[in-house]
Parts: sequence; structure tokens; C-alpha cells
Amino acid sequence: MKRNSLNPWRMALEQLDSVAGRIGLDPGIHKILQHPKRQLIVSIPVRMDNGDTQVFTGFRVQHNVTRGPAKGGIRYHPDVTLDEMKALAMLMTWKCAVVGIPYGGAKGGIICDPPELSSGEVERLTRRYVSEIISFIGPEKDIPAPDVNTNPQIMAWIMDTFSMDRGYSVPGVVTGKPTSIGGSLGRNTATARGVMYCIFNIAKKLGFDPLTQGYVIQGYGNVGGNLAHLLNQQGCKIIAVGDAEGGIYNKKGLEPDKVSEAMRESGSVIGFTDAERITNQELLALDCDVLVPAALENQITEQNADKVKTKVIVEAANGPTTPEASGILEDRGIFVVPDILANAGGAIVSYFEWVQGIQFYFWSEREVNLKLRDIMTHAFETVFNLSSEHKVSMRTAAYMLAVEKVAEAIKVRGLYP
Amino acid sequence: MLKKIECFIQPFKLEEIKDALVEAGVEGMSVTEVKGFGRQHGFIEGERRNRKVKFRPKTKLEIVVDEELVEKVISDIQKLAHTGTIGSGKIFVIPVEDALRIRTRETGRSALY
Repeated sequence: MKRNSLNPWRMALEQLDSVAGRIGLDPGIHKILQHPKRQLIVSIPVRMDNGDTQVFTGFRVQHNVTRGPAKGGIRYHPDVTLDEMKALAMLMTWKCAVVGIPYGGAKGGIICDPPELSSGEVERLTRRYVSEIISFIGPEKDIPAPDVNTNPQIMAWIMDTFSMDRGYSVPGVVTGKPTSIGGSLGRNTATARGVMYCIFNIAKKLGFDPLTQGYVIQGYGNVGGNLAHLLNQQGCKIIAVGDAEGGIYNKKGLEPDKVSEAMRESGSVIGFTDAERITNQELLALDCDVLVPAALENQITEQNADKVKTKVIVEAANGPTTPEASGILEDRGIFVVPDILANAGGAIVSYFEWVQGIQFYFWSEREVNLKLRDIMTHAFETVFNLSSEHKVSMRTAAYMLAVEKVAEAIKVRGLYP
Repeated sequence: MLKKIECFIQPFKLEEIKDALVEAGVEGMSVTEVKGFGRQHGFIEGERRNRKVKFRPKTKLEIVVDEELVEKVISDIQKLAHTGTIGSGKIFVIPVEDALRIRTRETGRSALY
């Protein structure tokens, strides 16, 4: 599926330009931020299972490292482009700044089609890619993490390849690792947990009771599925969920345990039969209180933004709302928590994993969750106050906060030499 | 971070301290009549000490606040609980891991304010 018809890098630059105007950003700093610090393109020769050699193209982009080492995922996908990497690296710079973790932004990827590759091929591809970018990464330089089509096993291979090069184990080089080699407890549910904390913070600020609302979740993977379970444990009612195959709706509420079970058996939430079948578009247009897009980019567009019937949208996915749709939702008075704030839980617990890894001292899951809640709540309140003070959307406020923090760091460090 | 401030004061100082702390932003407290002794073993100034230990009536305040308020709460109590004689009381600051409001399931700072 083509993920974005518009050029993602141009969209990211437009976002920066509009915030720059609003906060009166220094023109020199604006220029610095318009250019990623480093962009590396590597050719990755891999011996395939049939004996042939195939050469893949990989990228690693570091947008900015003024506030600390670069941080960002690595994705394996046929549609990966340099422009996409640049845009996502910039997005990571803002995400880390808005929640106040001491990182800059990075992103990496390999143009490949993982379902077509064997596990051995993916391992050789990963190890050779790491070897090609090895002087670029490290616990004090740039710390990769999982993204589209990459998982804890691939992170383990990254850690191992880097460690073999150094001659000793370096858990802090990558996050999202299995817990047996220094992965953090709570990492798996971190993004969903962060979204849940956002929802409870919104309820407090907007003055509604989170336990009596109807929730709709688009996407039932790591984020959507875990969120459904977490909200249900709190006593919240999830009236509809969906995945790539379609959606299910029951206004009396769905039981996430049973939905997950049906999903394990049939491969999709639509395998759950004690609910009404609906399409993805119907899901987004359901009458509800909180809508959580937790699937792909560009789900809410100018075509369907006027049909959305919710009080609140929490962007658990990256870029689920197009810029045009964002304007329509704002005009309609729908409260939107932007992706760079709403889904930062994953990046925050990645930060905890890195801190634990460089100290070789590991925390309990409760400690991880409480620290995550503190950071999410503080970031939410800061953005909310900024948005009330300047009478701007939460998205604009989040970008204002992020760009200002990075700009301040650049200003105080000065321009070398 | 949340902190619990547990302090023991002379009972007659309670009203004034309560008003000052509410003014400072404290949203709740629990007060208990207690008896106890400290370094003076319950003897007051001018009293002849012997080997016995006596209990004195005191008032205990328990207040949970955000870390930001701790210094202000401590200085207010220190100022207002001060009697000029021995037995003014003590203040303890204790870390609180979490707070939960039962009705709404709010947690952390949100459960207090």
C-alpha cells in the first residue's frame, strides 16, 4: 500500500515553517533545522538462501543531536525513501523534545519486502546493514529501535553485531530488545499506556468521566490491542475496534480478551462474531466520545473528517490525520491530541531502556510505568497550558514547545566554530 | 513526585496552620489527636526530670502534596508551629509512590488536585 501520496519531507518542512513563523524562530536556527545533520545511504549486499547475491539499499538519517544522541526506529518496507527517513527523523526530534527526553531525532530503513525474505536472510541483511552504519551509531551517538516490520529479534541482532565489533556487550546501542539481553520491562505496552494516560489527562482537563465514555480504537496491533486491554481493566467501555480486514461494533461494549482470542484464531478482529460487522470508514464515523486511530498514516482525510462524530481524537498512530483533515477537525471543535505527544510512550520507555542499559541496573515494571506516567502527564499539561494560553490547537502547541526547546538548545550551545 | 508531610505540633497551633496551608495550595489533610514524647521524654521546661517517660498531648497532621509545594508547606509549619519553648514538634517528609482517588480512578498528582 502506498503510504503517502504527498512528499513527507515537504510536509515536515511546511510544519516547521508554520511553527517558525508563530514563535518568531531565529532565521539561522530555522535554516539549521531545515537540514538533517547527517544522511547516510548504504548498499547492503546479502547472500540469499538460493546462493544469489542481492544488493539492498539502506538509510540512516540523524536530523538533530543538539539535545542528546539521536533516537529513532528502523523500518523494513518496499516504500522506504530517503525523504521519508528525513521527515520521520525530524518528527523524532520534535517527539523527544516535546516530552523532554534528552535525545535528538533519527530514522533508518531498508528498502525490502520482509514477507518475501527468510529469517536467515533478514538476519544477514540486518547484520550487514549494522556493519555499514556502525560508525554512525552507538549508545552516545544514535540509538535505533523497532519500527514497521522490525521486532525485538532484529534489535537483538543489531545489539549482537555492534557488540561483536566492540568486543564486549553493549546493550545501550539499541532499544526494544528482548528482556533477556537488557530490554526494559513495560516496553511492550508503553505506547498504549502513554495513550491511556493522555486520555485520563484529557478527561480531567475537559471535565468528563473517562469511565462512562464510549471508545473506538482503529488498529488492533501492539498499540490498539494493548490499549483496549488497559482501558477495559480501568472499567472503560470499548464500543468498536478495527483492523485491516474491517471493524466490529457493539454499543454495549466489547470484551478485549474475547476479541484477542478471536483474532488469534482467525487472524482478524472480525473473527469475533458477538458484534456488528462494520467497514473501516464506518468505524471512523461512529458516534463515540474518544476515537483512537492506532493503525496507519492518513486515515482521517479531507474526505471523511466532516463525518467523524467524536469529542476527542488521540493519535496513537503516526500521522493518522492529514493536514487538511486537521484543519477541519479543529474548526469543528474536536479535541485532538497530536501523535508526537500521544504516542511518545514508546520513545519514553526506550529512553528508560537505554538508561538501564548504560547503567546495567534494571527497574521493576511498576517503576517503569510510574515514571512513564509522570513524564506523559507533565508533557500533556505543558502542551495543554500552552494551547490555552496561545489559543491554538494541541498540535500547534506541541510543535511550538518542541521547536522552541530545540532552538533554545542550539542557541545556548552556539554555532561551531 | 508526591511527598507526605507528617508533622506533630502543639494542639493550639492547629487552626492557624490549617488556614495557612490551605492558602498555600494544600488540598487536603488528616488530623489526629495523639500522645507521644520526644527527646525530653515528655518533660516540659522548668519541670524536674526523673527517670520516667511521660506522654504529652500532640496533634498529628498528615498532608500529601506535590514535590513543588513541599518547601512552602515546611516553612509555613516551621514558622507557625514555633512556640519558643521545647516541645514545638517535628516534621517528617516521606516519599509517596502513588496516590489514587477511588471514585474517579485518577492517579498520581491528579488524584490530589
